Amino acid sequence: MDQGDDAAIEDARRGDRDAFRSLVERHGRSVFQLACRMTGNTIDAEDIAQETFLKAWREMRRFDGRASFGTWLHRICANCSLDHLRARNRRNILSAAAEPGALDPMEQIAAGSPSPERLAASAQVAEILGPAMSRLSHMERAAFVMRHYEGMGIEEIARALGVQSGAAKHTVFRAVQKLRRALEPAVRAVR
Amino acid sequence: MTHLSEEDLILVYYGEPGAPADARAHLAECPDCAMQAKSLASLLDGCTNWPAAEPEPGFEARLWRGITARLPEKQTGRPRLRLFAFAAALASLVVVAFVAGRLTTHTAPPITAGLSSQARERILQISLADHLDRAEILLTNLSNGIAPDRGRAADLVSEGRLLRSALVTSGDAGTIALVDDVERFLLEAANEPEHPADAELAALQRRIEDDSLIFKIRIIKSNLRTRGQQS
Repeated sequence: MDQGDDAAIEDARRGDRDAFRSLVERHGRSVFQLACRMTGNTIDAEDIAQETFLKAWREMRRFDGRASFGTWLHRICANCSLDHLRARNRRNILSAAAEPGALDPMEQIAAGSPSPERLAASAQVAEILGPAMSRLSHMERAAFVMRHYEGMGIEEIARALGVQSGAAKHTVFRAVQKLRRALEPAVRAVR
Repeated sequence: MTHLSEEDLILVYYGEPGAPADARAHLAECPDCAMQAKSLASLLDGCTNWPAAEPEPGFEARLWRGITARLPEKQTGRPRLRLFAFAAALASLVVVAFVAGRLTTHTAPPITAGLSSQARERILQISLADHLDRAEILLTNLSNGIAPDRGRAADLVSEGRLLRSALVTSGDAGTIALVDDVERFLLEAANEPEHPADAELAALQRRIEDDSLIFKIRIIKSNLRTRGQQS
């Protein structure tokens, strides 16, 4: 459990909304960013962040402190994002890249590694990653985000996706393979 | 050893179990596989630098406003919470007594003997509203695609049956029908496999939506609480 969260979590468990608000303020941004990566859409990500905290409030008594509060929230957020993606799929809405509010990966390209060659390759990858991600199925995208950005193991991803671990593993494989096909030309070009 | 597959290299990169035991030794010896691994690592490292989006200004305040608008009405302090917990515990006792009284010979007066019928009714209403609260949380999660906690669903089935048997005497057909409907869904949730297939969950979600079950639960809960406060 994060040191700074302890007291607020205890108070929030007893129904203290001000304490819960401090948790929302502390973790809201990272939950939003995860939802954004999962869905590729900032507008949806705000809704998902709201849903995540509502679920967390209802389930506060179940938080047992085995994982950090932030990790627990991210698990809830991953599930909410999946629900959202499934619902979006059902409604046949256009892919995230074509929606208003879709992320522009050119907006901020973080500094990469010390090697100029690696830096150039990373920047190239980051530049075209958004469109490549939008071509993944929502299961592939979710599995890749959970594995690559959230550090979740295959078993945990399987539980979140509601599939067997073999299926989760193959979903991660497919995602990486598709991204590789889409991104490798950019990496090759800077070598 | 044969060369490592792309899947093996992905497992090695993420440190997942399932790659051949000597994969790392092979990478140290095989230039082809080492080159493949380096290429994959370079690409996946590049993905790590994908920038996370920043929310619009005022995000936290907006988020909190949205949350508070959807939170249930605020409870007024701990004494009331304690009273409610006490009432719920007492209600459980009353329900047990109702059922035990029916199943055993009446050699001694039930523990509810000293309570007026109005008090018993009120306690039953509070217990039922509490039960429906818990069922609503589980069914809402289910309708949001979260696999149900089967143990919790099974507990709710038992609790619901106990309450239903007490309800029969009150003759409230609408509430009994709802408790029956809720039990049907809880039973399905309790009997779901550990990792239910997407299609099964989706079918259950659709039926919850089609039956307007969560809406009905909220209406009955609200009626119960109103009656409980008036009696």
